[in-house]
Amino acid sequence: MEITHTEESGILLIAIKGRLDGLTVPSAERSINEILGSGSNRLLFDFSELEYLSSAGLRVVLSAAKEIKRRAGRTVLCAMQGYVKEIFEVSGFGSIIPIKDTVESGIAELQ
Amino acid sequence: MPKETISFKLDNRLSELETLNKKIDTFGVQAGLPKKCVFEIRLVLEEIFTNIAYYGSRDDRGHWIKVSMSCENNIITIQIEDDGIPFNPLDLEKPDLYCNLEDRDIGGLGIYLVKHYTKECVYKRRGNNNVLILKKTISPDL
Repeated sequence: MEITHTEESGILLIAIKGRLDGLTVPSAERSINEILGSGSNRLLFDFSELEYLSSAGLRVVLSAAKEIKRRAGRTVLCAMQGYVKEIFEVSGFGSIIPIKDTVESGIAELQ
Repeated sequence: MPKETISFKLDNRLSELETLNKKIDTFGVQAGLPKKCVFEIRLVLEEIFTNIAYYGSRDDRGHWIKVSMSCENNIITIQIEDDGIPFNPLDLEKPDLYCNLEDRDIGGLGIYLVKHYTKECVYKRRGNNNVLILKKTISPDL
């Protein structure tokens, strides 16, 4: 699991690559909290290279989105692939956080 | 299809997830399972395993979790047995999927996913052990 982030025009983009499971979630959570420390309130998660996630991973995404909401900001999820996308759908995330097909449409949603 | 079976024992430590995943992959290859199906078994077993590892024991004694998987006539049967305190994860409440972000509860999704990705889940207490039996139809790759 690897996390990278960039911030451009007030939009914080966090890309998570690899597996977000019970083993990798503690370190993912630490990294994300640290990144959110920048105080940004527009967050885009790029999941184009996310290969797997379990409920532990869903919880990390949900807590980040809740934190952004507390800052009166917005979170968008984007570019998830096949089976990973299905897990987000089954968990009903689409009704609480906007999901976009590409990074570009995710950025557009936050502008 | 001939019957394929695999059976192994893990300690109830989170670090054993790695061994669990390797065993699932081996089983997937042996039974010739589609990729999507292996992905779903990994998800289901991770959820059950982490639940047992978190809640299944309340003492310092080391506990074990035994997993058996078999595949016959397009049905995968997974049995998970552990020697922890009586605990039925299937009783955990279903999360409210339709509330707004602020009210959305952070827990409860794991078992919800297990139920979604299996056809049948049964819990029983057998002697001093918890036994969960899951049945899953083989989902083809799309």
